[in-house]
Amino acid sequence: MKKRIFSAMLALTFALPSLALFSGCSSKKTVTLRVYNWEEYIDEGGEESYLYDEIENPDPDGVVTDFENWYEETYGTSVRVEYSTFGTNEDLYNQLKLGDKYDLICPSEYMIMKLAAEGMLEPFDEDFHDPSQEYNYYARNVSPFIKGVFDEGKVTVDGTQHSWSEYAAGYMWGTTGIVYNPKLIDTKDLQQGWKILLDPKYKGKVTTKDNVRDSYFVGLGIVYQNELRALDKNDPEYNQKVTEIMNYTELDMYGENVVEKVKDKLLEMKKNIFGFETDTGKNDMMTEKISMNFAWGGDAVYAMNEAEEKRGVTLCYYIPEECSNLFFDGWVIPKDDKRDPEVKKAAQAFANFLARPDIAVRNMDYIGYTSVIAGSEEYDDIRAYIEENYTVEEDAVLYDISYFFDEETLVPIDPDQLNRQFFALYPTEEVMQRCAVMDYYGDAEKAINEMWTKIKGESLDAWAIIVIAVTAAAIVAFVVIKKVGHKIEIPRKPKKGYTLVKQEEIR
Amino acid sequence: MKLRFSRKTLGIPYAVFLLFFVIIPMLVIVFYAFTDQNMHLSFGNFVAFFSDGTKLSTMVYSIVIAIVTTAITLLIAYPVAYILARSKLKKKHVLLLLFITPMWINFILRVNAIRELLSAIQLLGEANYFNTVLGMVYDFLPFMILPLYTTMLKIDGTLYEASADLGGNAFTAFFRVTLPLSTPGILSGITMVFLPSMTNYVVSDMLGNSKVTIIGKFIETYFGTDWHMGSMIALILLIIVMVSTLLSGGFRAEENVRGTSL
Repeated sequence: MKKRIFSAMLALTFALPSLALFSGCSSKKTVTLRVYNWEEYIDEGGEESYLYDEIENPDPDGVVTDFENWYEETYGTSVRVEYSTFGTNEDLYNQLKLGDKYDLICPSEYMIMKLAAEGMLEPFDEDFHDPSQEYNYYARNVSPFIKGVFDEGKVTVDGTQHSWSEYAAGYMWGTTGIVYNPKLIDTKDLQQGWKILLDPKYKGKVTTKDNVRDSYFVGLGIVYQNELRALDKNDPEYNQKVTEIMNYTELDMYGENVVEKVKDKLLEMKKNIFGFETDTGKNDMMTEKISMNFAWGGDAVYAMNEAEEKRGVTLCYYIPEECSNLFFDGWVIPKDDKRDPEVKKAAQAFANFLARPDIAVRNMDYIGYTSVIAGSEEYDDIRAYIEENYTVEEDAVLYDISYFFDEETLVPIDPDQLNRQFFALYPTEEVMQRCAVMDYYGDAEKAINEMWTKIKGESLDAWAIIVIAVTAAAIVAFVVIKKVGHKIEIPRKPKKGYTLVKQEEIR
Repeated sequence: MKLRFSRKTLGIPYAVFLLFFVIIPMLVIVFYAFTDQNMHLSFGNFVAFFSDGTKLSTMVYSIVIAIVTTAITLLIAYPVAYILARSKLKKKHVLLLLFITPMWINFILRVNAIRELLSAIQLLGEANYFNTVLGMVYDFLPFMILPLYTTMLKIDGTLYEASADLGGNAFTAFFRVTLPLSTPGILSGITMVFLPSMTNYVVSDMLGNSKVTIIGKFIETYFGTDWHMGSMIALILLIIVMVSTLLSGGFRAEENVRGTSL
């Protein structure tokens, strides 16, 4: 009986998930789309939503729900989005490696390249990039600047070169720079570029990011500052040359070891900074604990808004003269041979739906980063959003972001915005020239990661470690002897005139 | 037929739990620790750990931080537990509650609060190691007080009378009665505090501004990029903790003789 109950329970436990599986498969009309995105990286509806209005729209749906409705209306098939989130690119990569299945994921640029190079991505259908189709919102509305970056960016898959566009549809993009408090620093010092992180004048007043890639980038910027600044900005290949230097992983132009040089600078930086952070930086800027903070563009916008609204503190954003990092997150389809073509269609439709300018505005407003979408005549939402939030009537300066749109765009903005939110959202074309995309490290990955642990970890002299190890071993030996020792009786010679009597004999 | 649950059947869920949540994960860690990226058997991670000055130094620092944390926690918790257990106060459980309550408040919230306090007294960013230890002592104090308090509560009051009858003064009573009989509490307190203070990197990140790195942080970092090295570090840490627990168990066996013979 016991056995039977147990086996029945066992059968039940195995049967339940498969039952669920069957019910999922049997109704052919519902397509399940597994989307894996960053945490808080989409308009989730509710009070935080862009559409929220206390009276008119007190409980707007999130973008995911809106997509499900739109898809059914447009294509007649119902789709259910299984939406889940990840924390880091590395987590995402590890989960894919472990065999987790997703239909649409949103890694950062270097992870897209790594996944593509390892043959883990499936290219989009060719007609995804055809702007003549009505629902190809991405092709119809993506910024020409971003399209250029994606078309020109190359990755080698199975020995042949492919452009990033074949595998990825952009989502959000931005630059890295320094958020600073103009009251607490001498703004002239910013001319030092990334080297300001080493400036003893601001010892204990600056934070940087606690991750290897951002730190390595800053390190390169510091080490090769002179070389980067010596480049001719009017050279048509200027951006390529910056990109080349910022992608050094082994030997530099002098044939010397790059990682070692970067390591020395980062160790120097560690001594000077207040600390490394992942998200305390924004708050520490707001409370004026620190005066400068390495930041991603979108976070910078958020920090500037919050500091202004909550504390009345003015913060600004600066992009160093020598170089900055152009980063982006994009939608890609992981390779899955068993995937239903219907699902791939839904995945591409999801990427397209997010690219519809009104949806892009919602996400942009919710997340704080800049969307890759520029809009079109049909959908003018992005421009309208900019106008609504940043355009001023009086004392305006004309800010040129034509490079991002496909036609001349001069935005009349408050002169204050030249180094504040608007600048962080849409840097000028001149600034974008010196922004380099940083590839994945390839073969140098291990060396660079080890370098980073050396920066973060402690360092003791070898003799100290040996002394401590010997002491520890001695303690262990002492305790073991003490514990085991009393069980072993050491035979003692009796004193003169006494005879040894065994315990048993006494009894 | 009547359903009857024998001890064996009732034990099945626990056995399954142990298998899936303890034994298999441990085996997976051991497997990862002794394989390389291509899943071939390898001692490379083991060798790499012991030949890398940074990892060894970080391990040493972590152990020192953990020892200091545990010692300070014990020094603070022991008198508190003693007073609470021995006092004739009617409301002593309220006092105990006051020491335990912080445990029920979200950990991140508490660390953030200490961070703001340290910032207010200008210590944040100035004394990273001190701040880290301070944060850990604050966080782990309840874990030390509770086992000490419960063991001390169980000490039979007549033992103190006997000690006084035999001419022992307060000091003798403490060293001959309280201390030996509370040793199990001390030991379980140490076990509760020592390991977390080697791995709780949230405290060192927040209060040491990520400039203090303890071995737990390395495990976390490596699990982003290289599971094999991460597993190896986790395994080495496990062995260190196991050895130290075994050794302290050795002490217990001897010192408990008086307690057990009663």
